[in-house]
Amino acid sequence: MVLDLTMSMAILALMGALATIAGCLEDLESDVGSQSNPNSQVQLAPQMGFLHRIYNKAVSGEPVSNGLSAVVAGTVTSVLLSQNYYSLTAIVIGAFVGAIILAIYATTSYAGRVASQARFKQPLYMDIMRYTTPTIMAHNFIMNFCLVAICYIQYEILGYPFTIPFLALIWGISAGAIGSSVGDVHYGGEREFQNREFGCGLNTALSGRIVRKAESGIRNSIDNVWFCAKFGGPVTGLALGLTVFFSSWPTTIWGYTWTAVGVGILIVLVFIILNRLLEISVRDAYGPYKEEKNEKEAKA
Amino acid sequence: MLAIEPSLLIEYVLLIAISGAFICAAVHFMPVGGAPAAMAQATGIGTGTVELAAGSGLVGLITASYMYANEPEASMVLVVAAGAMGSMIMLASAMFSGSLIYAFGVGVPFASAQVKKDPITGDRQDLYMSKGTQGHGIPTICFVSGIIGAALGGAGGGLIYFTLMQIYTPLIAASAAAVAGVFTMGVFYVNAVIPSYGVGGTIEGIHDPKFKRVIGKDIFTSFAISLICGIVAVLIAQGMVA
Repeated sequence: MVLDLTMSMAILALMGALATIAGCLEDLESDVGSQSNPNSQVQLAPQMGFLHRIYNKAVSGEPVSNGLSAVVAGTVTSVLLSQNYYSLTAIVIGAFVGAIILAIYATTSYAGRVASQARFKQPLYMDIMRYTTPTIMAHNFIMNFCLVAICYIQYEILGYPFTIPFLALIWGISAGAIGSSVGDVHYGGEREFQNREFGCGLNTALSGRIVRKAESGIRNSIDNVWFCAKFGGPVTGLALGLTVFFSSWPTTIWGYTWTAVGVGILIVLVFIILNRLLEISVRDAYGPYKEEKNEKEAKA
Repeated sequence: MLAIEPSLLIEYVLLIAISGAFICAAVHFMPVGGAPAAMAQATGIGTGTVELAAGSGLVGLITASYMYANEPEASMVLVVAAGAMGSMIMLASAMFSGSLIYAFGVGVPFASAQVKKDPITGDRQDLYMSKGTQGHGIPTICFVSGIIGAALGGAGGGLIYFTLMQIYTPLIAASAAAVAGVFTMGVFYVNAVIPSYGVGGTIEGIHDPKFKRVIGKDIFTSFAISLICGIVAVLIAQGMVA
């Protein structure tokens, strides 16, 4: 379909908005289910004598499990579209089926992982499973819906050469990779060790000694997602939104030319400069942890 | 039978092998800190090598394929550059957002454990490393190294896609993109996994001593394995009927 510039930009903005929501919810889904790298601490805690009430799913690496639910959602949507279902209905049903599949994996992996820790006396809390699993599904449903909607737009309107399931797989893996590298740090680096002084750095010796008390009562995964939704999730959304927007924006404006590629490289340069500015401000804000030896000697 | 000249087929197989080597090299450039980085206990991005390389490279595959779909007459270099661009944008966006989390969510300055001074900015690194950690955050050298890696990965993915499209389009025009896309993804994963063994799961980038130690062997391995992938890519075309 050939679109004029205004319409193309409108669609691009819509895709960016959908990607922002998808990225945010992807990260929050991994936080509420405790997946990916920070989950190593949740897994380790009982071995260190820290029994907890945190969900422990870790179906697989975050990008792969996220790609799985997205591709299931994309496939079901594709099948329903071929049966002439209304597109919105097809995407909603597809997203729901993807969420169910993820929930099956989540419950089995939670039960399996806790069962394997029987020797450390880690209990399997059925109430945690009962009310956290639907929360995982809810987050995953929204993520699936947004990602498959992006894929639908790309395939049906923009004419991408890949089909909806394959696009869903690629975007699912990319969203998972971004969630794993961005938002999970907020969960692993801050929330799990929140009893430490902010900015002190996390000594490796603290491994497994996760915080188990919540703002009120005993901490569970719902408390974790409440905290991560304030910063980790939205920043992950920003990352995926910017990726989707900026990877298509140059070609939308400048066409399929070298100029578009040049503009893309310019965007990357801007990111490098922004990161450098952030680095300088953070070094000034938190200061060095150690003093230089020569300075110490001079003072002595 | 294939309607493509044997000499061209050899060229295609070699191009796929070179692309595999590109992707393998890409992984070495990416500052991947694995699980310790997710707890701000090591420098780099808090995820695995395969996840990050595949995640960024596949965005490159989308941009490269879209470029090729809209400009079928586009030169190979333009398609490859489009792939590199998409991949770089994804990684730059992810790394910058990750930096925001390290800066304001965890509250740690960026410091590399592998060098005393950042080779690009000249900033001291060791003084900013907190006790009991192997650095944290994404310093400028890691960021730039990651961007180079993403460019190589995206270019590799774009090159495989372009090559496969040359082979499959004359045979199965309608579904050539789907087959080429899936096959590219497969080759991508193969070549993202190989260097993971070499770097041992984590690497800081071009300035890491591991980089020089393992890159040669890894690239050779990837080239050899991608050569086999290339041969398979040509062989499966034998059974394609429009």
